[in-house]
Amino acid sequence: MVFSVVQTSLVTVSVIITFLLILPERGLAQNGEIDSLRALVKGMEQQLQKALQRIDQLEKEKGTTATRVDQVEKSVRAVQSAPSALNPAIGMAIDATAEQRSKAGGTFNFRSAEIGIAASIDPYARGYAFFNGSGDGVEVEEAAMVTTSLPWNLQARGGRFFADFGRLAKFHPHEYAFVNTPLSLERIVGGESQADGAELSYLFPTPFFLRGTVGGYNKLGAENERLDDTNSRAWSRFTYLGRLNTYFDLSDNHSIELGTSLAYTPSIRIPSDPHGGSRTLSGLDLTYRYQPLSSTLHQGVTVGAELFGNSERVERDSGFRRMFAPGGYAYVEAKLNRQWSAGFLYDNAPSLTSPGKKTQSYSPFLTWNLSEFNRLRFQYTYGNDNVNESKADGGNQFFLQWTTTMGAHSHGFANR
Amino acid sequence: MQVKRRSFVCVLFFGLFWGAGGFAQAQPIRVVTTIPDLADITKQIGKELVEVESLTRGVEFMHAVPVKPSFVPKLNRANILVAMGLDLEISWLPALLEPASNPKIMPGQPGHVDCSAGITVLDVPKSVDRAEGDVHPKGNPHYNLDPFNGKVIARNIADGLGRNFPQHKAVFEKNLTAYLAELEKAVARWQTLATPLKGTKFVAYHSDWAYFASRFGLQQIGSIELKPGIEPTPNHLVGLVQKMQQEKVQVIIYGPQSDRYPKQLAGQTGAAVVRLQSTGGATAETDTYIKFIDYNVRSLLGALKKN
Repeated sequence: MVFSVVQTSLVTVSVIITFLLILPERGLAQNGEIDSLRALVKGMEQQLQKALQRIDQLEKEKGTTATRVDQVEKSVRAVQSAPSALNPAIGMAIDATAEQRSKAGGTFNFRSAEIGIAASIDPYARGYAFFNGSGDGVEVEEAAMVTTSLPWNLQARGGRFFADFGRLAKFHPHEYAFVNTPLSLERIVGGESQADGAELSYLFPTPFFLRGTVGGYNKLGAENERLDDTNSRAWSRFTYLGRLNTYFDLSDNHSIELGTSLAYTPSIRIPSDPHGGSRTLSGLDLTYRYQPLSSTLHQGVTVGAELFGNSERVERDSGFRRMFAPGGYAYVEAKLNRQWSAGFLYDNAPSLTSPGKKTQSYSPFLTWNLSEFNRLRFQYTYGNDNVNESKADGGNQFFLQWTTTMGAHSHGFANR
Repeated sequence: MQVKRRSFVCVLFFGLFWGAGGFAQAQPIRVVTTIPDLADITKQIGKELVEVESLTRGVEFMHAVPVKPSFVPKLNRANILVAMGLDLEISWLPALLEPASNPKIMPGQPGHVDCSAGITVLDVPKSVDRAEGDVHPKGNPHYNLDPFNGKVIARNIADGLGRNFPQHKAVFEKNLTAYLAELEKAVARWQTLATPLKGTKFVAYHSDWAYFASRFGLQQIGSIELKPGIEPTPNHLVGLVQKMQQEKVQVIIYGPQSDRYPKQLAGQTGAAVVRLQSTGGATAETDTYIKFIDYNVRSLLGALKKN
């Protein structure tokens, strides 16, 4: 029993001594592990720090590279677009009709393929040209320079262009509201007011629009064969023009535009007529527009009318005699919706040699604008022709017109 | 006597010059803008120093503004022209600038302020081909519909005014700061107000709502137009109705176009129809830029609520 007590005590003491001896060693071992762990963590921390620094560096490099790539791409784009950026705007209009005339028969009429080019020339001028190819060949319809920075509200134009006479004479035929050039315009003015010469326009400093134009040309009228366009001539054989044009808003939606033009040629040389004599071409144009601002896309009415008068010596059976030939046209066009419009044209065209004889025509027309650049038009014309210049002018006539435009094609302010 | 007369003449001349100088100084800066939004912002920045007139009234479809000769004298007399740019005015402004005979305001000149400078442009086409309709090669030009862009517009106008009239630059900058603060407040209000618009699916007549949709989180599902500027075909409308039903389109937005197709589609799909303004100025409710954005946000919310 005593032994067991002593034994137990010895065992207890041994355990305590052993514990006391072992404990510091274990404590020492733990401290070593912690230290090594600390070192490990520190090492990892340093590595992480380095990795983060590297990431930052790479990010910066990436940003710089992206900026550089962006800069390079921009320069490449600039180089690629630079040559085309200086190119003029180019467009083309194609105009063709299928026609059936009771007195002349039917035809597919390729009327025009018109290439238009326009661009600024420098800070002082702009240039534009229209080349027109048709069944009659290719011609320079217009090629002109226009100033853009003359002082005192002046603007000058030179070259070949549609002179500022009347309203419709300045339109290219594919831009009409109807199919054909009115016969009155064709006979009296000579179709488009094409002229080789120079013009000066002045915008009056009035609160309303008032513009005046003076011009001098070889001749006026694309189809005017009575005057020469190429040879040199005396001052008296040029054609001189004056025009005043004004416009008033009657309200936000209604407006009226008025113009008066006079083209004077002091002396026309007529073979076999020693007197020659002057030619006076006068015109009065009036346009009324209803353009409801909130619905111009699908509503609107335009009424346009022009009166022309031509006074010159012409050859008649009784010899040469000065004749005054008055004529004109009037039309109305109404938008039915965004794509469809309908209208009616009345035309009264005298014979220049016998103004008592006239061709009167009546033309209802219907237009379908598939888009702003693609248009189909149907027109019926009844011609009551007492002039008998051409079989095509009288009787029943049917037209189906297809007109398209490609690229940048604009005839600007004159064709509004 | 002669001395007196000379003095009198001198005084008279001096008086005339002084008077003329004073008169010249009193002349306000004549600014013409293309749309009323720009006119309002110009007024806010120029205040009494400017006399501002917008060529359009805010009711027009911007791609079909009539080329009115009555705009020509206004452009002729303008010291500064403020335009949206990005070809928004391409169909009518260049045709008017030529007869206006005012070299100061021609594109590229200091008097021509293009407000699109610095705008992040949306819908820039990858290729420019008219088979895709009347596309805008430079991207969607209706950026005024995002009020954040209103700040860029204001900055550009202030810079433009300052560039042409540096003697008043400090005033323009001061007014700009005040206007931007006012606009900032309004933007915060709209962002709260327009929360229910987030995720709203809509169909537009013409694709001019990209900036508005992007700002307020709307999602455009389709357009009534077949392609920009091209009226829809019956087949396109049938397809659009199916798509609207599948996608559960909530609203049809249109502007100065005919309401025929929007109403027809609404009848077939049950979607709401709302006419919004793509520029300000049309009515007293939209006669300032801030009121105009406010009107569009509220009108759209109203239409959705009714439905």
